[in-house]
Amino acid sequence: MNEKRFHRVKSIAQKEIIEFARDWRTIMAIIVIPLLMFPLLFILFPILLESEAAELDALELDITVQSNDFPVELAQNLTNNGMNLTFESLPDMEFLSDPGSEIERVRNGSLDALLRFDSNNETWSYGILHLSTSERSNEARYRLLTTLSEWEDAEVRERIAAGGLDVNSTLDPLRWDGDVAQGDVATSGEQAGMVLSLFIPLVLAIWTYSSAIQPSIDMTAGERERGTLEALLCLPCTRMELLLGKWLAVAAITGTGVVLQICGLLFAIGYLASSSFIGIPSLSALSIGLIIVSILLFAVMVVAFELALAMRSHSVKEAGSILAPALMLILFPALFTQVINLDGIEGYWFAIPVVNVLLALRELLMDRVIVEHVLIWLLSSMVYASLAAYYASKQFSREDIVTSLS
Amino acid sequence: MKDSLLSIRSVTKSFDEVDALQGIDLEIRSGEIVGLVGSNGAGKTTLLRLMAGVYKPTNGSVVLSNGHPVSQMRQELGVVPESTGLYSRLTAWENIRYHSRMHGIEDSVAWARTERFAEHLDMKENLGRHTKGFSRGMKQKTALLRALAHGPSILLLDEPTAGLDITSARTVRALVGQLRDEGGTVIYSTHHLAEAQQVCDRIVIIHNGLIRADGSPDELLEKTGTESLEEAYVSLTLEQARVRHEDTEKEGLLSTWWRKLFTPNTPKSTFGGGEDE
Repeated sequence: MNEKRFHRVKSIAQKEIIEFARDWRTIMAIIVIPLLMFPLLFILFPILLESEAAELDALELDITVQSNDFPVELAQNLTNNGMNLTFESLPDMEFLSDPGSEIERVRNGSLDALLRFDSNNETWSYGILHLSTSERSNEARYRLLTTLSEWEDAEVRERIAAGGLDVNSTLDPLRWDGDVAQGDVATSGEQAGMVLSLFIPLVLAIWTYSSAIQPSIDMTAGERERGTLEALLCLPCTRMELLLGKWLAVAAITGTGVVLQICGLLFAIGYLASSSFIGIPSLSALSIGLIIVSILLFAVMVVAFELALAMRSHSVKEAGSILAPALMLILFPALFTQVINLDGIEGYWFAIPVVNVLLALRELLMDRVIVEHVLIWLLSSMVYASLAAYYASKQFSREDIVTSLS
Repeated sequence: MKDSLLSIRSVTKSFDEVDALQGIDLEIRSGEIVGLVGSNGAGKTTLLRLMAGVYKPTNGSVVLSNGHPVSQMRQELGVVPESTGLYSRLTAWENIRYHSRMHGIEDSVAWARTERFAEHLDMKENLGRHTKGFSRGMKQKTALLRALAHGPSILLLDEPTAGLDITSARTVRALVGQLRDEGGTVIYSTHHLAEAQQVCDRIVIIHNGLIRADGSPDELLEKTGTESLEEAYVSLTLEQARVRHEDTEKEGLLSTWWRKLFTPNTPKSTFGGGEDE
């Protein structure tokens, strides 16, 4: 590219970025939201869940116990677990789980759960009535089941001991020897890569596509609708320069969004890593380089494709109604790719559009560089990126793009 | 005879079935202010777009005096399209600078030219403002400054006074007059005959894609044997004007059917009666 062409392409890209960045809503959509999305999801959401759980733990629950012979020790355990007990005699019924005439008391919230308990010589039967749409009632059922299970466990141990058997060897005759985690020979870095490979490609693919929608439309159908494209087409730049300048601008904006989202994701993972949830993936320089190449090729293809579709449209509305549902073309392969088993995977998978880059990212994040796979996805991605760029150049060369609805 | 700057030779431009322009021959000479006059849909904008190299002729050629197609010599042209084409989130100067840079002009050179013409158009104070809040007149003036900033040989103006108030329209016409005095060449599209008569040395009347007349105002009167340009225009364009074609969006069968499905019938006219009876 000669110097004049380079300057024109640079001017187009520069102008597009400046104009785009001057809209505060864009800054919110491209910078703030991607940056905050994962930290909010990974850090604030668990905190919110924890506080909700603590709130539930603190609840005093009203339990009605229907039994003619309720064990005192069990009643004590239930009371210790934050349950206020009211005792009633056990009515006659075929099964203890039949709601019977008690259904309204549970449904209207006058009690949180009802426990029916009956003794049959050496065994006991029980049934719990609860309302699954009520948080309090669910919590009551959970506490009842937990306490009953603990009481049953103690009863089992007592009976084994009374029979003259060793409790531990009877209940746990087969045991793991040593530290379970030591049995996994994968390093913590490899394990982290495995976990990340399950969602980073997905996030990358979806966010690359979706964050390119708005700038692609604004710079093509938007220009056409506002009538600014005609003046631009009268300038001494070729349609290819125009496409290249706009592609650079969209790629820069999208790239910024994706990089910030990944930063947010890594920050969130780092926060979780400090609590030993996940480690930092160990990647070779070659894997990192190939990851960058695969993302770049994917971006070329996606952005060119979106610019082409948007340029075909006469208005922003029309472009939006085409590009938004076209997200499915990325979303379905992206979800599909997550369940493909990478061990012994056939080479042709790496030649399928979109799937190829996502599978490549999965392998590379696990630091697996398989030459045959790399060659297939590299070549096929280059072909798809070239086809998308060619299609975009055809759309930009159309004579009717000069016409404007305004 | 002045030197030829731009030659339009046997140009036809078709959009699908419609010939927007048919066999157009036109010679634009240096230092001329040429008015393209015609009704909406006559083919003025199509002709200007051909001159700007945005459209390629279906037949014929549009070449500059050196024989190059106009699309290869766009730096010789300054264009003000009908829609002005300004970016609302950029300032007036940023809009001008963007186009100048695309023409390969240094910012300082573009600024010097802009400042000079901005003074004349009373726009100097507004160059640093975003164009979003500009009136139609201010936008038109900014577009003019943008078209002039790189020092074009030919200025193409598509309806430059459309929608302007009297003062702004007058300022624009005065600028064109100034350009003529400085030896500039301007192609000026309008559907106002009086304006064309006031501004242009030469008037080209286009109707339904054909050039019906080409000459100075006096020559047109002489040719048609009329006493005013308005009468001359009417005598040359007697048949009904067609609708504007290149902007008419083509619609698929499904789109047409779907749109009609949600379009209620227009109430029948109550004037004149009779038909329903």
